[in-house]
Amino acid sequence: MNEEFTLQSEKVGDSLVIKTGGYINNVAGEKISQIFSDNSNSDIKNAIFDLKKSKVINSIGISYLLEVIELLSEKNGKIIFLNLDPSIEKTFKIMGLFQFSQTADSLESALKVLS
Amino acid sequence: MNSNFNLKITLPDIPDIELVALEGLESMGKYLGIAEDKIGEAKIVVNEAIINGFEHSGMDNPYVNIEFIITKEQLTILVTDYGKGFNLDEVKEPEIAKKMKSINKRGWGIKLMKSLSDDLKIESGPTGTKISIIKKLI
Repeated sequence: MNEEFTLQSEKVGDSLVIKTGGYINNVAGEKISQIFSDNSNSDIKNAIFDLKKSKVINSIGISYLLEVIELLSEKNGKIIFLNLDPSIEKTFKIMGLFQFSQTADSLESALKVLS
Repeated sequence: MNSNFNLKITLPDIPDIELVALEGLESMGKYLGIAEDKIGEAKIVVNEAIINGFEHSGMDNPYVNIEFIITKEQLTILVTDYGKGFNLDEVKEPEIAKKMKSINKRGWGIKLMKSLSDDLKIESGPTGTKISIIKKLI
């Protein structure tokens, strides 16, 4: 379970596709948020988060995702989550994250929503 | 097969130590054949309780005790720290719309613990905090 956090990012049009692996805690959350802060002056306005390989998250990690959502909302962007573990999806629902984001079944369908 | 397990762990305040407790919980859950979604939710609850414990443990007592009592039907979680405690009355219910506009986006732990468990009791004072949680597993 204690696998090292990994993060891959790829720019697709005006969207950033983020694939994570491992535990999303404060350190991982900060790394995710930093990518978007570093690109705040770019044309990136949407984010697709594929959390297939992240089965554990804590509220501090989620607070950094809220930062990203806030940043992209200011650009009228959209945030889409893919492959959420059921417990993480339920956690996001409880917090109300889906008022500001959505889920998709696949990367293709996420990109279609954003096109 | 024994259907009642008890696991006690003392966690020092080092990065990601909470995963040790989550791994123990997952192992017991798998052994007892408990549904993955129930264990997944319990792991969120436990993680938040441990984070809360470390945040209030104080510099002199940077450790948290956690105890699981698990059967096929129910999980009892006891999380204790011996720090400075906190005033539960001062903990505000977080709202996503307000958090989105706020610099402080944290403060979700108690809401998550309440929402994902069947019973939550928090006793906090100047000598520490004890969180007792019950989660039904069927």
